[in-house]
Amino acid sequence: MRLLIIEDEDLLRAQLVKALRDSGYVVDSALDGREGLYLATENEYAAALVDLGLPGIDGIDLIKKLRQAGRSYPVLILTARDNWTDKVEGLDAGADDYVVKPFQIEEIKARLNALLRRAAGFAKPTLDFAHFSLDTGAKKLFANDVEIELTAYEYKVLEYLMLHPGQVISKTELTEHLYEQDYDRDSNVMEVFIRRLRQKLDPDENLKPIATIRGQGYRFKLPANNGPAKKV
Amino acid sequence: MVLQKKSEQGYSLQKRLLLAFGILLILFLGLAGFVLDRAFKESVAASVEERLQLQIYALLGVAEPEGEGFFVPDMEEARFSQIDSGLYGFILDSNGRELWRSMSALNFRMRASALVRNALEPGETFFGSLETEEQGPMSYASYGTFWPNQDEEFSFVVMETVAPTAAEISEFQSSLWFWLGGLALLLSLAQYYLLRWGLFPLQRLAEDVARIESGASDALEPNYPTELRAVTDNLNLLIKSERERQSRYRTTLGDLAHSLKTPLAVISGIVQQVSADKPVTSGTIKDVSEQLERMDQIVSYQLKRAVKSNHARILAKPVQIKPVIEKILPALNKVYRDKEVNANTALMENARFFGDEKDLMELCGNLLDNAFKYCRSEISVAVSEQGNRLVLAIDDDGEGIPEQEHKRVLERGARADTLKSGQGIGLAVSMDIISAYGGTIEMGKSALGGASIRVLFEREP
Repeated sequence: MRLLIIEDEDLLRAQLVKALRDSGYVVDSALDGREGLYLATENEYAAALVDLGLPGIDGIDLIKKLRQAGRSYPVLILTARDNWTDKVEGLDAGADDYVVKPFQIEEIKARLNALLRRAAGFAKPTLDFAHFSLDTGAKKLFANDVEIELTAYEYKVLEYLMLHPGQVISKTELTEHLYEQDYDRDSNVMEVFIRRLRQKLDPDENLKPIATIRGQGYRFKLPANNGPAKKV
Repeated sequence: MVLQKKSEQGYSLQKRLLLAFGILLILFLGLAGFVLDRAFKESVAASVEERLQLQIYALLGVAEPEGEGFFVPDMEEARFSQIDSGLYGFILDSNGRELWRSMSALNFRMRASALVRNALEPGETFFGSLETEEQGPMSYASYGTFWPNQDEEFSFVVMETVAPTAAEISEFQSSLWFWLGGLALLLSLAQYYLLRWGLFPLQRLAEDVARIESGASDALEPNYPTELRAVTDNLNLLIKSERERQSRYRTTLGDLAHSLKTPLAVISGIVQQVSADKPVTSGTIKDVSEQLERMDQIVSYQLKRAVKSNHARILAKPVQIKPVIEKILPALNKVYRDKEVNANTALMENARFFGDEKDLMELCGNLLDNAFKYCRSEISVAVSEQGNRLVLAIDDDGEGIPEQEHKRVLERGARADTLKSGQGIGLAVSMDIISAYGGTIEMGKSALGGASIRVLFEREP
């Protein structure tokens, strides 16, 4: 999952970037409104964290412009202004949630997780497909309540596919949401991850949950039990 | 509060009124003088014409044609017989030949034919004026007539010197302007003193305000005229609220400093312990972060209190409540999207809150946020205004607040250090806002099963 953090306070930005990278996100960051708006409109992110008091373009204006540009991914506001007039203004401008400074990193992660899940159409923190259950909070996969051990990268690939069920996800898109920009994308490492996931999820090859669409990418075939059966 | 200098404000009120009334006075008296003068002149002219006409009739009454000329016996009007008396008579035939002239006109060298207009019908009178060498400006009347048994038509002319009427007019004029001038002076004086008297309360107000500025007085005096009372009363309220705000700032700063010292002391104690012998354990980290959270809460609470408007009821303007709640609900629905809260509203159109919109937003935001947070799936919001009573009722279907807790929640002091860690500050801030506007809050069990909160504001009629 690729995230964008727009925050002008250097220490705080560094803390956020580190904490979110540690939890497996790919993170871009900007330190003022202009650069932030450029990145936010040029790229497709899973979610953005926007500070309200930004130099260049104010956070509220940035969110409005982002929405006008047709970007609909979730936006989490970080604000020191803890009053309802500002909160309502921010949410009205198109943000999806807010966190008041000072905050615990854990709170940011929880809110972000909920936003990503909701954006994919899931109401609960677990994504349920057939007998599989992916706990996005604990970042664990269960099959009939028995945990299936996954590496961090395997989890990330599976989570991304499960959050977009029925959609064809290209290898490039997966790579972008898994790695920082400077990573060598020519490797066939993605194919390795998919092969390993198939083995772990479906050793008997009955369900075939992940389909390969020739020349296009991969698709998670199983219908969700608790989320969107089909995402348009 | 700084009073602007007089020069920056242009003319003073007194100067403006004096100037306006002065111009009005001059225009009014000038016009009155002009009209009176004209009317008098017209009436004098009319009386001159009437007199001339009468003299012509008198002349007609006594004149007898005799041969080529006319015989006019001694007339009642003696001035016809005195040389250069100022009243002169002439009789001319239709060719302009002079048939008779009065004794008084013997010195006249002018030809009487100049006084006759050619086409004068019998019975017609013509009035005119002319300048003569001997007597200066004169008024005259010529009258056309014919005599029984004679073919000839004649003109009777009477001429009178203007000097006496001119003197009369000039005398009238000078007395007219003298009295009008006197009247203008009198009115100006009266107006000056009336204005001073009328505007005196304003001057008193300025002095009063200056006394407050210098600290010699606390409030404006109460005995101002009705028109100024609204201003002075509001000014007094403003001064009072300003003083209250200053004292509240002092209290807040004091509270803040004191309440932050306790957690600081705890943290510094922990740090000293650590540096001495014991290593850092997860317990010490937990202790420190607890104190940090407490400090954060204290700071947030005092910040919110500082942001809250302090004008409260003073200069309160009405804010429509419905749009404010309709702005907050979608925002909360977004934040609590997972709960899929069903919010029932009964918002009276045009129900108004008299105060600052931000305060209302803060109050409704905090109360509704609590309702969304603690409900299971349903809340209800009702706003109604009856007369001077405004009721805001928020219900939810959550756990509710235990009765023994009501008092504690409501009585929670305004001091931040009484807030325990983990307690939300939303309700404390709401209580502050409600009390600032003289409102009351009630807590109870809701028909929905959870908490019921009723906020009541009563406006003075």
